[in-house]
Amino acid sequence: MRADVLIIGAGISGLSIAYTLTKRGVKDIVVVDAEYVGSGSTSRCATGIRASFTSEEHVVLMKHSVELWRELSKPEELGRYGLAFDQGGYVWTASKDESVELFRRLVTLQNSLGVPTRIVDPDKLKGLVPTMKVDEAKAALYDPTAGKSYVFDTLNAYLMACRRKGVKIMEFTSVRKLVASGGRVKAAVTERGEIEADTFIVAAGGGSKELMESIGIEVPLKNLPRHVMITEAFKPVFSPLVIDWDAGGAPFIVQTKEGNFIIGREIAEEPEKSLKSVRIDFIPTAIAPIAKWFPWLKYVRVMRYWMGYYVTSPDHHPIYGPVEEYENVYLACGYSGHGYMLAPVTGKLIAEWVLDGRPSIPQAERLTLRRIREGKLIEELAIVG
Amino acid sequence: MGGEVRKHPTIICRCNDVTIEDVERAIEEGYQDIESLRKRLRIGMGPCQGRTCIPLLVRILARKLGKKPNEIPLPTVRPPIVPIPLKLFLKSKEPGVEGE
Ligand SMILES: Cc1cc2nc3c(=O)[nH]c(=O)nc-3n(C[C@H](O)[C@H](O)[C@H](O)COP(=O)(O)OP(=O)(O)OC[C@H]3O[C@@H](n4cnc5c(N)ncnc54)[C@H](O)[C@@H]3O)c2cc1C
Ligand code: FES
Repeated sequence: MRADVLIIGAGISGLSIAYTLTKRGVKDIVVVDAEYVGSGSTSRCATGIRASFTSEEHVVLMKHSVELWRELSKPEELGRYGLAFDQGGYVWTASKDESVELFRRLVTLQNSLGVPTRIVDPDKLKGLVPTMKVDEAKAALYDPTAGKSYVFDTLNAYLMACRRKGVKIMEFTSVRKLVASGGRVKAAVTERGEIEADTFIVAAGGGSKELMESIGIEVPLKNLPRHVMITEAFKPVFSPLVIDWDAGGAPFIVQTKEGNFIIGREIAEEPEKSLKSVRIDFIPTAIAPIAKWFPWLKYVRVMRYWMGYYVTSPDHHPIYGPVEEYENVYLACGYSGHGYMLAPVTGKLIAEWVLDGRPSIPQAERLTLRRIREGKLIEELAIVG
Repeated sequence: MGGEVRKHPTIICRCNDVTIEDVERAIEEGYQDIESLRKRLRIGMGPCQGRTCIPLLVRILARKLGKKPNEIPLPTVRPPIVPIPLKLFLKSKEPGVEGE
């Protein structure tokens, strides 16, 4: 089998890249996935989308991405609701004075980069998040441009658009290794035979590291287990995603379009641990801080709990673009928990690297594997959801 | 999903209002395993955790794909098996929660 472009991984990154390439006129695209579409981190994620980060690279890329989320959620080629972006905002609550101070500095940075975050007082917070008990809040950082989407609607929109444009999606086809010679990758060896291509894009989430190892490239990624739970569904209560900045492990809560509440918090974990190693202690740990803000939660029932990987790079920024050793392979991985929100801009950037030789957003050029090889890591404080 | 109005819809997932027609359409769209169908349609994701609808879904899918029901892989079972009130996970001493 042969393709112009072979994309490994049919998560939101792979689909967004495929979709963007078709829009730019590329015809013969194959996307392979070891399992079903979205089976990796994508369908396990909390779907938060925001530009309120703390590094210039993140803020600038995310801002582009948020604009694309809006653009692609208009009823155009991606169906009636497009990507289904719901711009309900994000609020980060602070219960310590020093956090409010930090928020002020973040607002200055974010505003200077065009992200209109602002500090709100507890009264305003209560207005933004009805039913929230705000007594302990000193203030909150509010990002009105942030939001969420419904992951399965979003994936479906990308998937149907890719199919309509003739992208071939091969599910349940695992790539065992890549084969290279003379500075070019020649083929991907799958359990169903080889696929040759002119261009290879590795958007394989937690599998990217091993694939690149097969052609001698070290991509320092760790698969860090993250835990989330979902409650029964209720009427719409509040739209923003709410994060507690001061509780440690950044507990958050968000209501899905279907009415369920998704709740998460970071707990101490070892990289590479199986996604079947259930930690029931996660539930009380995550609930305790959130139930302080939303006392009614104690009457709510938890329906399911699951785990997924944050595929994490050394500086918590994505690893994008070309590698020096091979001229026809591009990386799109290592999002460290933010690959969902980045997906539209990921598609744009990788398509530009493939077709134009460089991305149109200069900050993206700092995000190739080279920075890690040269030890030029980027700093980011707001790693959550 | 499952929002389209029909004269005689046959609901197979009562928790999340999914009809046979929704299932058949999704299978035609290319969602051909239980895990993907579950995510696309929310079938089996309701409070009963798919007790009634997943066995029905397995049979419909088997028929459509010309397989035996026991050849269709079942979805991942995630804890808890039944929905549990969150208060059972909260210590009553938790400040701000107590006596609410
Ligand atoms: C609990 C949790 C909460 C999160 N919350 C957020 C959030 O709020 N906002 C946000 O932006 N991000 C969030 N994330 C991160 C987000 O889920 C990921 O960054 C994003 O989904 C990455 O998408 P992807 O397509 O790159 O990777 P994936 O979705 O992991 O897709 C990679 C695909 O590659 C396939 N694959 C792997 N190896 C091979 C191989 N050898 N051959 C063939 N196929 C292969 C896999 O099967 C998989 O389907 C969260 C993650 C978790 C776990
Ligand atoms: S009937 Fe389908 S989940 Fe309850």
